[in-house]
Amino acid sequence: MTWLVWRQHRAQFYVGAALLAALAVLIVITGVQVADQYHAAQAACAAGHGCRQLGGLFLGSHVVGFLVISTLGAPVLVGLFLGAPLLAAEYETGTTQFAWMQSVTRKRWLAVKVGWMLLAAAVWGGVISVLVTWWSGPDNAQQLDAFKPGRFDLMGTVPVAYALFAMALGIAAGALLRRVLPAIAVTLAGFIAARAVITLLLRPHYMSAVTVFYKVTGAGYTPPASYWQVAQGVIGPNGQILPQPNGVDYLDGIPLAYLPGSCAAPARGAATLPASCSQALAHFRGFLTYQPASRYWAFQGIETGIFLALAAALIAATAFVVLRRDA
Amino acid sequence: MTPLHGVPDLRSPDHEVLAGSREATGPREAQCAPGKPAIATNGLSKRYRKVSALTDCTVNVPEGRIAALIGPNGAGKTTLLRLLAGLAVPTAGEMTVNGSTPRQDRAFLADIGFLAQEIPLYRRMSAADHIRVGAHLNPRWDGASVRERLTALNIPLDRAVAKLSGGQRAQVALALILAKQPRLLLLDEPVAALDPLARRNFLGVLADAVAATGLTVVMSSHLVADLERVCDHLVLLASSRVQLCGDIEEVLAEHQILVGPRKDITAIQRSHSVIQVIRTPRQITLLVRGNAPIADPAFQASEVSLEELVLAYLGQDASPALPP
Repeated sequence: MTWLVWRQHRAQFYVGAALLAALAVLIVITGVQVADQYHAAQAACAAGHGCRQLGGLFLGSHVVGFLVISTLGAPVLVGLFLGAPLLAAEYETGTTQFAWMQSVTRKRWLAVKVGWMLLAAAVWGGVISVLVTWWSGPDNAQQLDAFKPGRFDLMGTVPVAYALFAMALGIAAGALLRRVLPAIAVTLAGFIAARAVITLLLRPHYMSAVTVFYKVTGAGYTPPASYWQVAQGVIGPNGQILPQPNGVDYLDGIPLAYLPGSCAAPARGAATLPASCSQALAHFRGFLTYQPASRYWAFQGIETGIFLALAAALIAATAFVVLRRDA
Repeated sequence: MTPLHGVPDLRSPDHEVLAGSREATGPREAQCAPGKPAIATNGLSKRYRKVSALTDCTVNVPEGRIAALIGPNGAGKTTLLRLLAGLAVPTAGEMTVNGSTPRQDRAFLADIGFLAQEIPLYRRMSAADHIRVGAHLNPRWDGASVRERLTALNIPLDRAVAKLSGGQRAQVALALILAKQPRLLLLDEPVAALDPLARRNFLGVLADAVAATGLTVVMSSHLVADLERVCDHLVLLASSRVQLCGDIEEVLAEHQILVGPRKDITAIQRSHSVIQVIRTPRQITLLVRGNAPIADPAFQASEVSLEELVLAYLGQDASPALPP
């Protein structure tokens, strides 16, 4: 059976291996440069030659930076090009009737095919994740953005889980629809929908976020390491959250409508605020709600678990459909 | 139902099929043929949602026979073959194939070969690739025989099967299925898409293989002439039911054609079951079941050919309505 799987999919294997190799070469070459740049800037900062340079440092080239971001779409590719056609193409061309009339049970046929495909998906997601995680190290250290949606999804264990989920989704769609193109369409739509729903609606609630309050007149608050900001704003004297001061005049993040007249325009340029304005400002508090960096791996684990569970459910559904339904 | 090649339409006004003779087919189903059966089914039925594809099918085919499975489109031929191969599960009834119920296990699958109508092969793979697949997936496998057969037929082993002609593909598929050395071979309209020469080649290879190994074959087709050349057993399906089943020679011997003047035929109907009546202005032609001689000297009896028999039974199927 393994030989048949290899013979059927060796072309895709070569293409996939070539893509990974090309990505690896690009990432390793530019990654070394990025790391050098970062360490040089850090050393300069430590030697007292000005750390401002570090903040403005641009790491990596535009092209590779874009490539790294675009690996966000890499996991779904295995679902589209390997998963969806895996069973759909066999049903569509009737070759199930060839394979199932060899002396191999449907169960074994399915298990071997699906097993190798899942392994391929895990390797694909894993290799990309290792490369991207390594490349992004200095960048994340500087930007403190490893936890933010869009970055979090590129690194650690989640890309492996996404790839496994995409593969399982493609296989299940192919088994149900028995047509390659509809299966590909459903895989793409399903993957995007699942990722969007889980990222936007579920991920913020894996653990309740931490909230820090600070004086509006101070420097605010920035957590020490890569954190994920869930919300930020100002709470008024009555405990209400103020609207963001979009398009209106504001002082320290507070729309002027909430402040006494002494805080109005003339005061804003002044070195010291009128006392009445300062007193009023003391009743406002800034807050930052966020997921601290210490939870990064817990979140990776939870999200990985969710997608692995979805993949397992899809594979179970596939087995049910393929083994129960007539050829 | 598509008209069979070059034969007058049985539903023209001059042709009449006796309604009611259908009941006579009931009891005959069971007495298919003696001998150790390669296939025995009992009351086999298959429904797809609301559509009945096969109803109460009871047939048996003894070992070592080449059975022709004949019936109009939609009669349930494919369904029956797929059930026997274990590719589909019946909604009712039971069946024994090679001594056991079709099931997903290596031993059952090794003993059975099924060639679907569309001749499914991996399009991008060559015959040689398919030979390797077979070698990996079957306990018994005679890859050398496939190479020999295909080389003898001038079919390239290393060309993707998508680039072979329909006849060549069918030969590749047949060679592959024979390499598996099954005890029972199920062929679903294997020659339907082939030209007469390719058809002859295909059937020749099949007949040789049967002679050499003694395997049992069930083959469906519309082409009665082809089947007549290689088959010795008949299963006639119509309206998703079995109409006739048995050794072809015995079945033919049980029927006769009677030609006589146009007159009342109730006397004949009492002793024989009349399958088909064809009236012309001056005479009447009957196809009857039962080989007892006819008392009325006005009628001339003659032997019936397989084609006439098949058409008569299929025409019976096409009769528009049965009396309540």
